Amino acid sequence: RHCNIVYYQDWHRTKRPKPAGEGGGILPAVAHSISPQTHYADPSVQSAFASPRNTLSSTSGVVIAVNNEPASPLPGLLQMPAPQQQATPPQPMSELPFDEEAKLVYGVILSLRNMIKKLSGRDEQFVNYRTSTYKLHLYETLSGYRFVMLSDHNTDSLRFVLRQIYTGPFLEYVVRNPLVTMDSRERGIDNEYFRASTDRLIRGLSVFP
Amino acid sequence: MSKQYKAIGEDIWKGRTEKINAELFALTYGALVVQLIQDYEDYSEVNKQLEKMGYNIGSRLIEDFLARSNIGRCSDFKEVGEVVSKVGFKSFLNITPTVTHSQLPPTSPTTQTNTAGASFTLTLDENPLTEFVELPEEALEGGLWFSNVLCGVLRGALEMIQMQVQVEFISDVLRGDESTQIQVKLIKYLEEEVPVGDD
Repeated sequence: RHCNIVYYQDWHRTKRPKPAGEGGGILPAVAHSISPQTHYADPSVQSAFASPRNTLSSTSGVVIAVNNEPASPLPGLLQMPAPQQQATPPQPMSELPFDEEAKLVYGVILSLRNMIKKLSGRDEQFVNYRTSTYKLHLYETLSGYRFVMLSDHNTDSLRFVLRQIYTGPFLEYVVRNPLVTMDSRERGIDNEYFRASTDRLIRGLSVFP
Repeated sequence: MSKQYKAIGEDIWKGRTEKINAELFALTYGALVVQLIQDYEDYSEVNKQLEKMGYNIGSRLIEDFLARSNIGRCSDFKEVGEVVSKVGFKSFLNITPTVTHSQLPPTSPTTQTNTAGASFTLTLDENPLTEFVELPEEALEGGLWFSNVLCGVLRGALEMIQMQVQVEFISDVLRGDESTQIQVKLIKYLEEEVPVGDD
């Protein structure tokens, strides 16, 4: 079995995710902002996708939702730029291409999980970890799907939220949709309904600013 | 433990599932089997296709099941059998097949039911798929297992939770046998694949 990122969404990233390099291993249909840019589509199309994104990595993989609550003002990523408006300088991009980011996150999670399993046996689960700037929450299902959320370091555990995403939007729009291949090695599971409903769920949270 | 599973199954069936008309379900499934028979004209091929369809259903159904039942990992294969029949079948089909466990004679003194070759048998007293069904002569001779989709569902679902199993019908009331029995045999536990490190 393999592990790969299949979905991505973010709300308050301080830096825009850098698009993955070609052949970097990010599957198509994970999220528009991070797929390799083959050519610059016309600006109106571009702006339609500039709204926040969520990352779901699965196929026995990881779902990442990035929800940073930064001290600095909200980045321009949340606003939908008008097609004509080219003047606003683009937000600084994070240094790593997204596929590297995804690999890093996956690597961290896998190593921590293995370490915990060795230390305390099969029943213990890795729940979250915290650094001085962010907190990473993990919810893992028995079937191997991993849902990851990155948030501000002061947040309480969002594991329950991840579980809600699993039992709500994921179940409804991914599992029950026969046209979405769940175990695919070639495609992510990005689809409109799923994106919109997770968005709604997250925005409705009390911890969301 | 098993009383607990019964209660969980009941609870999910009563509270947290959307229900459809059983006749519609049975008729739809029947139409599906008839169409497959017309398309393939070979009963063993039909059995295979039903199992394949079941596999696809099962690999998604397990997510539904896990999300709703909130059940943790089973400690051994015996428990898997209990959960499948008391919670799984109950919450999706509202039937509770009886489980009988069996195991290859253990070579070592330990009586773990986790060794490959462990199996359980589900005996279905009623089968919602076969409400109005009677098999014609050719189907009986051709060896059709009418509800073979159930075997696929079990195989698909268990494979997603890291168990490779072999599932097949042993007997079927439609075929004139005394009871309807499905045997689930554990082949092995699947281990997670660790990606090759590139550091």
